[in-house]
Amino acid sequence: MRNRLKVLRAERNWSQADLADKLDVSRQSVNAIETGKYDPSLPLAFKIAKVFGLPIEQIFSDDEVAQAAE
Amino acid sequence: MQRETNPKIISNARRYAGNMIVACVLYTVFVFAGAYATRIDDLPRWVLIVAALAPLLPALLMLRAYVIFLNGIDEFQRRIQTEGVLIAAAVVGFGTFAYGFLEEWAGLPHLPLLWVFPALIAVWGLAVCVLRLRYK
Repeated sequence: MRNRLKVLRAERNWSQADLADKLDVSRQSVNAIETGKYDPSLPLAFKIAKVFGLPIEQIFSDDEVAQAAE
Repeated sequence: MQRETNPKIISNARRYAGNMIVACVLYTVFVFAGAYATRIDDLPRWVLIVAALAPLLPALLMLRAYVIFLNGIDEFQRRIQTEGVLIAAAVVGFGTFAYGFLEEWAGLPHLPLLWVFPALIAVWGLAVCVLRLRYK
């Protein structure tokens, strides 16, 4: 699964620690999600969408769908 | 490397460290008291049984501290911890199983069962460190 977390975070000038605080997770967890090493659960994905004020599909996308779009 | 700043995560880690220190101190006291008791002549067998099982209480306190810690961490951290436990169970389980056969059939020296739990803890700790590096 791909995500735009890093870009969205940069647009808001948030550090990984800022985002981690807002999501109530560890900074390491934010880093693992951003680098694609960990796919969040659905509840956490919804929480991320809520923090950014965006629908989930504008943050996360399926690998195959993203590749096809490219 | 950036450090964790989330107050909930920090307080959970501190509570875990505090609970573990208390359990470790109790464990040390119980082990030394038990070892001392075995040197006293003519103690009734039930006293020796109680002394031998006493270190189990602080070990259970360690388990309790770990469960509380596990419930206070986020899903990604919990995944690292549970993967670590699984790796430790597999390594120690298969290791002791294999060594059991080696002891029985190949004449390797007997190892006390006492070492199984510390081996589990050691491999689990090592596995968690390796997993943390992998996800870094």
